[in-house]
Amino acid sequence: MRYVGKGACPPFFRRIRFPYPVLELTTVSVPTADPASPVSPPPVVVARGLTKTYDTGGAQVHALAGVDVEFHRGAFTAIMGPSGSGKSTLMHCLAGLDVPTSGTVHLGRTQITGLRDAELTLLRRDRIGFIFQSFNLLPMLTAEQNILLPSQIARRKVDRDRFDRIVDVVGLRDRLHHLPAKLSGGQQQRVAVARALLNAPEVVYADEPTGNLDSHSGTEVLEFLRSSTKEMQQTVVMVTHDPVAASYADRVVFLRDGRLVDEVADPTAELVSARLLKLEEA
Amino acid sequence: MLRTTLAGLRLHKSRYVTTVLAILLGVMFVSGTMVFADTLEAGYEKTVMGSAASVDAVAVPSEPDSGGSEEPEEALLTTEQLDEVRALPEVAGADGVVNGEAVLLDADGRAFGFVPPVAVSFGEHTRFSAEEGTLPGNGGEIALAASTAEQIGFAVGDRVTVLDREQAKREFTLTGLVEFGTEQDYSFRGAVVFDEDTLREMATVEGYVEIDATAAPGHTDQQVSDAVAAALGSSAEVMTGDEFGVKLAEGTGADTLMLRTVLLLFSFIAMFVAGIVIHNTFAILIAQRQREMALLRCVGAKRSQVFRSVLLESLAVGLLSSALGVLAGVGVGYAGAAFGGPLLGMEGASAVVVSPTAMVLGMSVGTVVTVFSALVPAMRATRVPPLAALRTSATAAGLEKGTGRVRAVFGALCFLASAALVALTRMSGPSETNLVIVTAAALVAFTGVVVLGPLLVRGIVRVLGIPLRRTGVPSMLAVDNSVRSPRRAAAAMIALTVGATLITGYSVVSASIERTLTAQLEEQFPIDYQITPQMFLGEPAAAEPEETSAEDAPEEETASEEEAPPEEEAAAADGTVGAPDVPAVPAEVVRVLREDPLLERVMGQRSAAVESDNGTLWVNTHTSTRFGEDMTADTVEGDISDMGPGKVVLQGASADGFSVGDTFTLPLDDGGELSLEVAAITEEGQMLYGVTLHEDDFARAFPEITSDEYVYVRAVPGADPADVREAVHDAVEDHPTLQVMSVSEVKEQLSSILDIAFYTIAAMLALAIVIAVFGISNTMALSVLERTRESALLRALGLAKGQLRRMLGVEAVLLCLIGAGIGIVFGVVFGWAAGAAVLPGLEFTVPYAQIAVFIALAVLAGLAAAVLPARRAAGTSITGALAGE
Repeated sequence: MRYVGKGACPPFFRRIRFPYPVLELTTVSVPTADPASPVSPPPVVVARGLTKTYDTGGAQVHALAGVDVEFHRGAFTAIMGPSGSGKSTLMHCLAGLDVPTSGTVHLGRTQITGLRDAELTLLRRDRIGFIFQSFNLLPMLTAEQNILLPSQIARRKVDRDRFDRIVDVVGLRDRLHHLPAKLSGGQQQRVAVARALLNAPEVVYADEPTGNLDSHSGTEVLEFLRSSTKEMQQTVVMVTHDPVAASYADRVVFLRDGRLVDEVADPTAELVSARLLKLEEA
Repeated sequence: MLRTTLAGLRLHKSRYVTTVLAILLGVMFVSGTMVFADTLEAGYEKTVMGSAASVDAVAVPSEPDSGGSEEPEEALLTTEQLDEVRALPEVAGADGVVNGEAVLLDADGRAFGFVPPVAVSFGEHTRFSAEEGTLPGNGGEIALAASTAEQIGFAVGDRVTVLDREQAKREFTLTGLVEFGTEQDYSFRGAVVFDEDTLREMATVEGYVEIDATAAPGHTDQQVSDAVAAALGSSAEVMTGDEFGVKLAEGTGADTLMLRTVLLLFSFIAMFVAGIVIHNTFAILIAQRQREMALLRCVGAKRSQVFRSVLLESLAVGLLSSALGVLAGVGVGYAGAAFGGPLLGMEGASAVVVSPTAMVLGMSVGTVVTVFSALVPAMRATRVPPLAALRTSATAAGLEKGTGRVRAVFGALCFLASAALVALTRMSGPSETNLVIVTAAALVAFTGVVVLGPLLVRGIVRVLGIPLRRTGVPSMLAVDNSVRSPRRAAAAMIALTVGATLITGYSVVSASIERTLTAQLEEQFPIDYQITPQMFLGEPAAAEPEETSAEDAPEEETASEEEAPPEEEAAAADGTVGAPDVPAVPAEVVRVLREDPLLERVMGQRSAAVESDNGTLWVNTHTSTRFGEDMTADTVEGDISDMGPGKVVLQGASADGFSVGDTFTLPLDDGGELSLEVAAITEEGQMLYGVTLHEDDFARAFPEITSDEYVYVRAVPGADPADVREAVHDAVEDHPTLQVMSVSEVKEQLSSILDIAFYTIAAMLALAIVIAVFGISNTMALSVLERTRESALLRALGLAKGQLRRMLGVEAVLLCLIGAGIGIVFGVVFGWAAGAAVLPGLEFTVPYAQIAVFIALAVLAGLAAAVLPARRAAGTSITGALAGE
């Protein structure tokens, strides 16, 4: 993808928090998708018949009991469900962090189930981005070093323009040389978002990215994620239990007892809350 | 509270594995030393007691009153006295032991030993007996001390040549071997055994050095010894066999005490290092369990209870690992005695001796060190505010604060003080006190390292990090990780610094000594062979002089035979100086050598002692030696090539108050004086020592000394070494007692002696280093535990397992390199200071090859230390680590 570089973000935009300055990430040639219906392009991630069984002292626990799901390019999908519904396990299996007991996961044309650990490592390094709930950053590296870390691990050349743009968009320009301990929770998560987006991975997995943030910082992070899907055709899969967070997504899938039980497109917080409540009551 | 502590210990037991190992190893060394020394001592005692108990009474000449400093003549028991003892009704049989000395020739026809072995005879009623074969029964038979036979390579049945009193060869058949145990003279010089008549033919002997008696039936050993005492009166000291055995055993006890002390010194070092490791482990464990401690406080535990809980934990760990250490020590001590005992002259296997002292010492040292090391961390634990429990992950945030300015200043002051102390030793001359000062300086500097440790770690990592960062992400992360808790890193590496300092220091001293002595041989006085007569220790009572001049030790050392320690031999050489029958190289040998065209120069050295107002003057001359050409020396003043008739070269105490051009007056025996002009004053530790005269002046002053005490031979340049060797050996063919040393042999011997000492010391220090590596491994393991989530994050971001392992490996190697690096720098500096403080004219030498080996070992140690932690980190499941806190 090619983007127009405009150098540093004008101070004017930096002061404005909302609406998020989407202008900065405008794509020149808008690829395939019609921004209005981001669900239509071919799926980037496809999972078929995923099961995951844990042995806990004789009793078998089915964390995943046959999940079929797909995620499309440029889509922002939220995975929701009550505690213990298997949403984190699903994400870990999709991301190649965990190995499902059965079923397949494809990332693009690659079937990632069955890959060896070394191959999975390369896959994560080159094609997947991660944002975790907390402890996202290495405490001994500065914000900039943290953002650049995956590229350095991969010995990839960094696209400096893209780096500058992302840094400006997430508003970290004057924090680049700070250690994480000197950053607020919101700033730390923004560093994590910048890191995940820098390499334009095929898919970004976010595990409760706003779980530890106040609502203001949370909104900020979610806005970044959403605009990245809109403006950069970035595919984002987010696990959350917060209906407000889920409402930023294009689509919400609901999980209960390891099964996909519901799905909502263009969700609102109220709608998601109601569905979730129904799920928990059932 | 006790229950909480023990539950905590059970839960965290894997974290204590390396700590337990560190304590265990230290304690093992301590109690192993005790068991080894005890067993060895018991073994010696058994040997000695066994032989002594075979007779019932032992009479030795009582030592005559030594009036003043005069060395008393050795008193002997007479034949009449032996007859008296034999006539006693209580005595079944009695025999005397006769000692002399005789030159024993080896298979090549050269004399054995730097001094001739003791020639001894004893009858059947003495405490000695043949261990193998039979005792000599006639003039054609001989027995040897078992150790002598082994050294010289003779077995029973061989033909053995011994020189008689007139230095004529006489052949004997070796019929038996005698075990003399560890009794000083016999074991040090070696012993040949004849029957009494033959001994009297072979050597000049008069009486008996010992009379042993066995009891007639119906008499106790006490009665026999009383009777013998009554018969011999004041001329003899009489004991029962058992009493005599106890007395002998005391003598050997002194030997083992030395060994025990040295080994305990090394165990002290090991325990010290273990203490550092334990301290660091507890400090980290407590930092990690801050929340746990705070929770305890929250639910109502008092500060003192938390403190006690931590101490109790250390006590439990200390007791357990000390107990294991004592057990291991018993095993090691026993193994040491079983394998090392025979090498140290202990006979046969002896039951392992585990004294209560060994157990108690091991237990208490281990426990006390552990509890003591945990004191500071325990104090720190009490300072955890209860609210810390509510905060998240207190440890994960933990990037340590910088080193305080007070710390930096104090550390810098330590280094300054240390440098000042070293400078002090450089100003004053060499002395033993300086060695103490240098040690103190090293300790002060070491304190500086402890204080500045975190700062040093950060500084060094910054420098080493520059190239390392370029080599990839794992190295970059390792560099960053290694300075995350500099204090922890510093504590881990300091344990290694101790060992590295000691080993490097010793290797520098050793290399410098070797270089210095070799330089003296090669540059100051280049020769190829040295010929000396065998020194006679025996009659006529060549008593060792009180004064053993220290400055001639280096030179004497070049002539050393391996079994003669330098001091002894220097003393032996001095003892004969000036005596009327100075053993000398026969003039004929010198003449033959001088005629040989292969030999360029044949130089002699003669010496005499002159009593002057300022004490004894050592007066030397070098014959046929061109000063400044054949021999050079570093001078304080003047030039030794100005030496000539009527001139003198001075050194050391004899040069006090003189300068070049002054007139030196040498008092002569006949009452006259010799006035000489001072040509040069040489520095200490040179080939020239004392007062050196020109050979003409020496001949005038000491006309009775006409032959050379030492002869030095230098071959024509380019001559075939084999031909030269043959020429020199041919010249001494008819004089088997002359000791021929080739300088290259001397150098080889010197370096092999120094090497053996080095490897022994290195082996002893190895344990301390192993403990330090455990400490580093432990620190790494605990850090890995602390960074579980971080490692998982890195793995999620695409860091391969191998890269993660490499990251930890590089971090451990960095730590080891810093520790070893500081140690090496300290070792070089203080090795130089210590060497220069004691040895004048030391040629400072840095053993680069050895240091390279140390650095390579440090890298290997780092890799070894990282193996387990790295496996653990790479093996952790990513999802599990991300989920759990």
